[in-house]
Parts: sequence; C-alpha cells; structure tokens
Amino acid sequence: MNEDLKKTLLNPIFKGNPITVLVLGICSSLAVTVQLKGAFVMALSVIIVTGLSSFVVSLLRNSIPNRVRIIVQLVVVALMVILVDQVLKAYAYAIDKQLSVYIGLIITNCIVMGRIEAFALGNKPIPSLLDGLANGAGYGMILIIVAFFRELLGSGTLFGLRVLPASYVPNNLVILPPMALIILGCIVWVQRSIQKDLQEK
Amino acid sequence: MNTNSNVYTIVYTTLIVVVAAAILSIAAMALKPKQQANIKAETISQMLTAAGFSSKEDLAKLGNDKVLAMYSQNIKTAFLIDAEGNKTGELETEVSGIELQDNLKLENKNIQNGNPSLPVYVFEKDGQDINVIPCYGAGLWGPIWGYLAFNADCTEILGAYFDHDSETPGLGAKIKDEPSFREQFKGKKLNFDNPDNPFDIVKGGAPADNLSAIDAITGATMTCNGLDAAIDTWAKAYMPFLQKKAAAATGDDCCEDGCCEDGCCEGHDHDHDHGHDHAHHHHDHEHNHQEG
Amino acid sequence: MAKNFFDKVRPTFSEGGKLSWLHSSFDAFETFFFVPKRTTPRRGGTHVKDCVDLKRLLIIVVIALVPALLFGIWNLGFQHSKVFGLGWGFWQMVWYGFVKIIPLYLISYIVGLGIEFASAQMKGHEVSEGYLVSGFIIPLIVPVDVPWWMLTIAVAFAVIIGKEVFGGTGMNIWNPALLARAFLFFSYPSKMSGDSIWVGGLSKALAGGTPWKGGQVVDALSGATPLSHASLDGLSAAGTSAWNLFLGDIPGAVGETSVIAILIGACILLCTGVASWKIMCSSVLGALFVGWLGTSFGVTDIPCWEQLLMGGFAFGTVFMATDPVTSAQTETGKWIYGFLIGALCITVRLFNPGYPEGMMLAILLMNTFAPLIDHYVVSANVNRRLKRAKTV
Repeated sequence: MNEDLKKTLLNPIFKGNPITVLVLGICSSLAVTVQLKGAFVMALSVIIVTGLSSFVVSLLRNSIPNRVRIIVQLVVVALMVILVDQVLKAYAYAIDKQLSVYIGLIITNCIVMGRIEAFALGNKPIPSLLDGLANGAGYGMILIIVAFFRELLGSGTLFGLRVLPASYVPNNLVILPPMALIILGCIVWVQRSIQKDLQEK
Repeated sequence: MNTNSNVYTIVYTTLIVVVAAAILSIAAMALKPKQQANIKAETISQMLTAAGFSSKEDLAKLGNDKVLAMYSQNIKTAFLIDAEGNKTGELETEVSGIELQDNLKLENKNIQNGNPSLPVYVFEKDGQDINVIPCYGAGLWGPIWGYLAFNADCTEILGAYFDHDSETPGLGAKIKDEPSFREQFKGKKLNFDNPDNPFDIVKGGAPADNLSAIDAITGATMTCNGLDAAIDTWAKAYMPFLQKKAAAATGDDCCEDGCCEDGCCEGHDHDHDHGHDHAHHHHDHEHNHQEG
Repeated sequence: MAKNFFDKVRPTFSEGGKLSWLHSSFDAFETFFFVPKRTTPRRGGTHVKDCVDLKRLLIIVVIALVPALLFGIWNLGFQHSKVFGLGWGFWQMVWYGFVKIIPLYLISYIVGLGIEFASAQMKGHEVSEGYLVSGFIIPLIVPVDVPWWMLTIAVAFAVIIGKEVFGGTGMNIWNPALLARAFLFFSYPSKMSGDSIWVGGLSKALAGGTPWKGGQVVDALSGATPLSHASLDGLSAAGTSAWNLFLGDIPGAVGETSVIAILIGACILLCTGVASWKIMCSSVLGALFVGWLGTSFGVTDIPCWEQLLMGGFAFGTVFMATDPVTSAQTETGKWIYGFLIGALCITVRLFNPGYPEGMMLAILLMNTFAPLIDHYVVSANVNRRLKRAKTV
C-alpha cells in the first residue's frame, strides 16, 4: 500500500508527467509561462483544483449516476475553479489580473478531467487526492521550468527581479507562444533521452 | 439502490447543482467586499501614479486601506460632467464611501452615443490643482485604458498611467511596463485647435518641437495606434471642459470659441508643427518592418 | 596534390585509425573538394530527398546566387556613399560592401557548419552539405548592420531547431535561411525594422548622433524603403521608380534589391533544371492575381506588376520558395504551393499593417503546408485511378 501511494505520488511528476508524457494541458502552459510569478500561481491553482476535485469526485464515486457522470464531474471541477478564482481576486488581485482568463480555463484543462476519469472514479478518496495533487504538481513543475527560461531570456528577470545585466537585449520571440512550445519540446527531448523507454520506435 | 434510474439521476443532479450554487454564493458574498476594495484600490493607484503622488509599485506595497486613505487625503473634489463639460454630479471622496466612475467601457460607449457621464478627479498637491481624467480604447488584443493628469488649467500634462488587458508582453505591454513611455507625456499638451486629433503617438519618433506628440513603442504599432485613438476619443469628449478650464485660467472671454489670442501664439506654432507632423505620421505609418 | 594529401590521410580517419572519430568531418571535406567516388545515380529532375548527389545541385544554386551577391556588395557601398554624401568611386564602394559582408559570411558558415559537423559527429552520420546554400543565403537577407551576436544566435537557432531536430538536411520542414531571418525579426523587432537598418553604418551613426552633411541623409532616407510605404502611398511617395526597383540601386537587404541579378540567377537555375519552373511561375501568377484584386478593389494603387519588383518577392520566389526540400514534391502540388506563396505574400503586404512585406511569412507558412498539399494531391490521384479501374 505504501509502495502504491509512493508510486501514485511520484509517477506523475516525472515518468508519467501530464504535460511531457501524456501531452495534456498544453494550451495553458503556453499562455501563462511568460513570467515565473504567474506560472507559480497558476501551478498552485491547478494543484489545488486537481487535488480537491479528484477528492470530491472520489467521495461521490459510488453514488454518481453513470449517465450524467461527466456533467457531475464538470460541476465539481467548475466549483473548485470558481472558488480558486474568487479567492485569487480577493487576495492576489494583481496576479489574477495577469492570469486573466486562464484561471477560469482550468476547467477545460484536460489533466483535471483526465485524472478524475482515469483515477478518482475507481479509487478511494485519499489516493485520489494524492493523485490529483501529484498530477497538478507534475504540470506545475513543467510550467515553472518553461517560465524560468522564458522570463530569464525574454525579460532578463526572475520573479520580476533583474538577474541578467541591463546590457542584455531581451529576446522577444521567447515571450511569444511559439517559443514556449519549442522550450516544451526541448524538455520532452531531454526527458526522453534520459528515459529511453519513453522513446517511440 | 439503482443509481441509473431517472428519478435518482434527476434528484442527484439537482442536489449537486444546488449545493455547488450555495457554496459559490456564500464564497462570492464573503469575498465581495475584499474584491471590490481591490478593484477600487487598483483604479485609485493608477490615478495617484498618473498624478505623480506615488508609483504603482509603492502603492501596491501599501495595501488597499492606505491607498484609499491617500486618495481621500489628496483629493479635492471629484465630479461628473456631461458632453458640454457641465458638472452633473459629485462623487463621494470620504474614505468610508469612495465613489469612482470606473466603468470606462460603458462610458466609452456613451461617448459614441453623445451622452456620456465623465469623471474628473481634482487632486491637490503643493497648493496646485491636478485634474485627472481617464481614457479607454481598444489595443491589439483587448481593451487598454489609463489616466492622464493635467495641471490646474488643463494646458499641460503632468503625468500618465496606462494599463491593458492582454497586450503582447515585451511589445504592446510596454505602455504599462515601461516607465520611460509614460514619462514622455510629462510637459506635453493637448492640441486644443484640433479637437478631432488632439494628441499623437508617432511611429519612428515625434519631432522634438511638437508638444502634442510622443514616440511610439517600436514593434507595438497596433497598441500605440489604439492608445492614440483612445486618447483622441476621450480628449475630444472632455474638450469642452478642458477648454473652459484653460479659458478660466487665462481669464480671456474670447476663448469661448476654442482659440484665444493669448494661447494662439503658441497655438499657431502648434498648428504648423501639427500639420507637418501629421503628414509625416502618415508617411511613416506602418513602415516598420521590411522583410523578405 | 591535394588529392594525394587526402589519400594519404584517409587511413587515419577510417575505421580503426587514430582519428576515426572525426571520419564524418574528413568525409565532408574530401567530398567537398572532389567529386566523390560514389554518387547515387541522378533520378531525373530535382527530386533530392537523397543526399549524395545533392552537392552538385547545391553548387549550382550557389553560382546562381553570385550575381545577387556581387550586386549587393556594390550596392552596400553605393548606398553608404549616397547617404553620407561621400562621392565614392566604384572600387571604394565595392571594398566597403566587401568589408561589411565578410563577417556575416564568416559567422554564417562557422556557426552553421560547426553545428552541422558537431551533430554529424554525435550521430555518427556523414556531414550533409545542405548548409552550403542556407549559409550563403543568410547574409543576403538580413540587414547588413545586424549585430554579430544576434546573427550567431539566429543561425544556431535555425540550424538546431529548424534542421537538426528534424534529422538534418533533407528532413527539415522549413527553409533554414528564412527561419534565421524570422528568428531575428521576431526576437529583436526593434533592431530589425525601420528605415535606417538597410544602409550600412546608418543606424549606428544615427544612434551616435553623428552630424550629417547637410540634408542629404534626410533626402536619402525618404526614399529608403519603398516597400514600407507601399501599403499607403505608393512608389511615388517613396521617391523610387519601378526602374530603380528593377535595377536594385535602392537600400535593402544585400541580395534582395536587384531584380536583374536575381533574374540572372533564375536563368541559371532554370536552365540547369535545378529549381522548379512551376513553382516560380505559379508564385508570380499568385502575386499578380492578388495584386490585381487589390488594385481592382481599391485596396492599393500599386499596379500588380510592381509588386513583383518590390522587397523580397523576387529573391524569395527564385531562391527560397524553390528549395527542393521544403517545397511541395508533387507536380500539381508545386503549382498550388507556388501560387499560394505569391498570393499570401501580396495579401500580407496589403492587409497586415504590422508586416509590410510578407514573403518570409508566406514561404514559411507554405513550407508548413507543403506535405499536406502533397498528401491531398497524391490521394486525389489514387482516387482518380481507383475510379478508372472500377469503370473499366
């Protein structure tokens, strides 16, 4: 059991990472990775939403009518997302403004629904919670790595603090979404050269 | 229990939705005051930055309460005007119930309709009045807005602050992020003689002797054009009010028709520059990128 | 003699020799200097998804580029002398252009080939020569005053991301030279746009506040980039005649200004059968068509044939759209591909205020769609034949 839990927790971070291996949740990772601060808050929000909604759905899993399964899941996810959005609006207004629509769009993030369908519906609440949190963390980790490079090269700053000398000419392409995709590709590249079993023949 | 029966399904979904709705409304009610204070403080700190009382970054560190207090202390009066520049109502400025006219999107529409209710915020700094007015318009990707601060007789711009919803980071977003862009507004003035186009943001650099134009941001043509249009639209809507202020300051009656001898010496020069500049502006329009 | 040298050192580099790990590099140098002993038979036309014979074709492309390069070198000096009012003689102009262009070539080849060699060594492949042409084109299409470090990054980006990750020459989706240009353009827009970047030394002098000789600079500047004025004012406002555009004595990227020099190159390419005449023709047709639509609907008052002379259209059509690796492979596909490049280029010119010239974007976009075009052309063919088979 302990082994299982450990696997539930660690697998989504690296070996079964939702972004680089399952290729879910790409859109938002392109949009909110211009600055580390935003990526950080977004990562936290997704961790909370995936964790809590997996937990709640798992609690309800034996009572949900199969025919309206997806709708019930959506209601739960939407509830969590709106709660997160409201809290951010109240307590982190500046960042919420920066993330604008993307917090609301967590609803459409495939990771959330994917983990609910694949895991929470068939597992007990606590493992489901951990699975949700871990998948959120796997997503968040990639987000932060991408944002690190984009903010460093695109603005010369990290968390808004200047790290590269003022003589550094910021690269504007890095700030545009295509470069986020290329950085993401490079991460996938690195991961697959480390983990040979992920390589497709 | 048969979880697939129709009755069960209907009851279950109803229950889930009601519970979710209840949780959300409680959360929304509990958080609303805080959220509104955030929005109010945000708007106010933009105005305070434009008027030169503080900077946006410092204000963000102060927290909402102190920002509101700062507003209350420094504001002299805040009121609404109509399309003719006549006062139509007062805005509360006491810290307990600060009223702002911050639905700029609606007013932007009302300006087109010819029936706006525009706010003027009069601050007092070192015994001098500072008039702050907003502007609003469309950028490249979404709305852009901001505040312009004028001196007591509205003939000189003292500062500006702009914000945006979703302009390109590093390019259009510079209207907010690049202090040197805002700095350019200092000491400039609206061209009262050309109410349709009182201000220009010129690509490729504004002539130094043109007091109603600043340099655009390289690579952000569309955002700058949008900002130019936003300032022009709103400045035009405020024009009667601004001209009255200017006229009152010079105490010259002939100013009613929009141009007075006194200001005209300057105004003529202005006109000249402006004509020239305008042609130039069109010439250089969109020439930024040649590519192969 | 050199041949003997290669023969002598060959054992060192072949299997078991002490420098065998460098055998890819050795091979590349040897085949570059001499006709290799083994070539795959040329399979008609320009279909070069296999690489050994590629070398001969690439050299023809390079030769075709030479007129544009030579003209560009002179033009660099000519523009510089004109703007600064120096009154230079012919050789002075050539010398100036030569000095300006050499570092760009050095960077382009050292960085690009360095990466090619390194990656070939890593993968144990042979070094492919595809970069010869890309490296030759890059200095021709970037502003002459581009900072060297920027060019370095751009070349590295184009070769690594545009080529090596897809498996090297012959496997790339996009034209590497254009990718380098696009990288520069989107990464450093402030250094890549404006009137002053196209004349050597001008932007630097402007930034340094160097005084001018009278009003000459301003005069020269008003005619600086006809293209950038095209969307609004037409050529007359830019002070440039169609003849100037054709001849090419105007400011612009080194290789792109002279339509005459490019046409000479086009003749070489067409006579030797290296480039597809279908792509060139259809691209011109596409441009004419949209240009004509533009004038008939009053979007622009530039006659459609003048669009062909402006900016990078001619250069792109002749040298980059026809790149056999990234263009469509099927014969019908080539017509569609070329037509859309021409049409898109003019469409971008007319309608996108941010990018007055769209050749780069048009070619890159159609590069992306070339495999799709081929796919549909092939499957349409298959269907047609199936139908015929059935009816018979």
